[in-house]
Amino acid sequence: MKRMSAEHQNSINKSKEKIAKPVLLAVLIAFFALFPLFVRSPYYLHILSLTFIYTVAAVSLRTITISGQFPLAHGAFMGIGAYLSALMAKFWGWLPLLCIPLSALATAVIGMLVGFLFSRLRSLHYAVGSLFFGIGVIYIIYAFPCTGGYTGMMGIPRLFQTADKMPYYYFFLVLALISIVALYRFEFSHIGTILKAIAQSHLVASSVGINEAWYRVLVNGVGCFFVGLIGAGYAHYNMAMSPTAFDFMATLWLCMYVLIGGITSFAGPIIGTFFLFLLPEFVRDLQEYSPYFSALLLLIVIFFMPRGLVSLPALLKSYFLKRGEGERISNVSGS
Amino acid sequence: MGLLFNTVINSLILSSMYILAALGFAFLFNMLRIFNLAHGAIYMIGGYIGYYFIVELGMNHWLALLLTTLLVAAFGVFLERFLFRRLKGDFNLNIMACVFVAVILQTTVNIIVGDKTMAIPSFAEGVFRTALFSVSYERLVTFAAGLFLLGAIIWFVNKTRIGLQMQAIAQHRDGAILQGIDINRVSAVAFALGCALAAIAGIFLGAYLRLSPYMGDLMLTKVVIIFMLAGAGSITGILITGLILGTLSSVLPVFISGAASDAVIIAIVIIILLIRPQGFFGYQVEM
Repeated sequence: MKRMSAEHQNSINKSKEKIAKPVLLAVLIAFFALFPLFVRSPYYLHILSLTFIYTVAAVSLRTITISGQFPLAHGAFMGIGAYLSALMAKFWGWLPLLCIPLSALATAVIGMLVGFLFSRLRSLHYAVGSLFFGIGVIYIIYAFPCTGGYTGMMGIPRLFQTADKMPYYYFFLVLALISIVALYRFEFSHIGTILKAIAQSHLVASSVGINEAWYRVLVNGVGCFFVGLIGAGYAHYNMAMSPTAFDFMATLWLCMYVLIGGITSFAGPIIGTFFLFLLPEFVRDLQEYSPYFSALLLLIVIFFMPRGLVSLPALLKSYFLKRGEGERISNVSGS
Repeated sequence: MGLLFNTVINSLILSSMYILAALGFAFLFNMLRIFNLAHGAIYMIGGYIGYYFIVELGMNHWLALLLTTLLVAAFGVFLERFLFRRLKGDFNLNIMACVFVAVILQTTVNIIVGDKTMAIPSFAEGVFRTALFSVSYERLVTFAAGLFLLGAIIWFVNKTRIGLQMQAIAQHRDGAILQGIDINRVSAVAFALGCALAAIAGIFLGAYLRLSPYMGDLMLTKVVIIFMLAGAGSITGILITGLILGTLSSVLPVFISGAASDAVIIAIVIIILLIRPQGFFGYQVEM
């Protein structure tokens, strides 16, 4: 009887979850869609646009990590997309709206080539190899005169012929939604399952006939496509950029967005990026101290939520349950 | 002849300092599997503390060097005791902790000194002249100090009890613990040593090159390159690859300008890594 009621409760909880999640998502999307109608401050629109850009970058970074490898060149791929699109638009005079998908495709091809080159490397060796690739990309950008070198690139054509932030805000919102949905579908597709199998054991995966190298190249291509896409959008939004926006520290912060949110969950990088971007906004007056707040968040996550911010509800739940059943648990641990 | 000799002595100085910093990095990785991304920041803070002691307090160079080393070593022990020991070897958490340390150090230095470029006054004045070449005493002193420290480290790792215990832990962690090695104590020594070596390199290169809050990023790149080329678990490999990298990065700019020479070095490193992922002397890391 007790078990049945528990099952019943469980099914109620599940159906509640089934309703709660889409409702929550719809509310969030509606909030961001209606946000510019109420808040016209260009500053907030700018911050939110940047948040959308880096959300896509972080989510696509996590998509590559489901194959079990951790790339440390993602910021550089964002830079490749941004610089390719900017160069095409500036020197060939093509429309930015055409340049963005083209440079995304080019970034995907470069990403697949790099993935093919590095398909022999695993774990730490892959991570460090891609790190060196990222550093090399930055040096190449420095070395070519057409990219502006150390001073950065200026005069990149705008995406829309207006200085108003609102069209950009909606552009990045739509782009982020499309990218996130596409990456979600990718992760929970057949290919995503294969990638997770490779992450668990590449030997077992190869033994059942999975071509490990090809799937790793593929996931590199997918991840780099989306980061190239958003990087190109970033270039035409900012109109000026320097390679420091894509160097190793930028890549490292992308990894921090993923790790703070929680690398085991799809929502992790989204939550992590929003937290790390919007938290310093509460202390805007202390601009130069804002890295301290990010660092503090890192410390809190390290010590109290080792699985990332997404594990917070589960942790709270278990904490309160434990308090209710404290005696039983202390008995178990004592014996 | 003068250019050739200067290039050689340049490359030797750079190599010895890179090797010192890379040894500290390698200790931490080989023993504790900590990929210390804060190494560059610790190198930077060493340079700034040395600057403070020498310029602001007007101390003797060598006394300042000793004090800075002790201070940063104590900082390393503190980090081990209160941050890294609690993470129990979780790789992702270790990376996050390293970024935390690096961000805190870099932001603090940025707020205190800002973008001002400053340099530690040189360790020795004057120029040593012969018929064929002339070289400043500062370079000779830096080079001699680097050589002496390298010898001391090699002696420490191979001849003392703690050094041998460090090697044992690097070879097989569980086996070493079963033999009764106190891993917490040895980890603390490794942290102290790693941070101290980075700080020493920071002071010498702060006098030789220049101080800036972002000098650590460049050093971190060099250190990781040296470490990966030598391979995990190898100490002697670091001496050789450090020499190669120091030579390359001081010879190549003579022929190719600025950033392009760095790009060439990175390309060479990537090619070597593709052919031999485990480095010249190391083993492949499974994680």
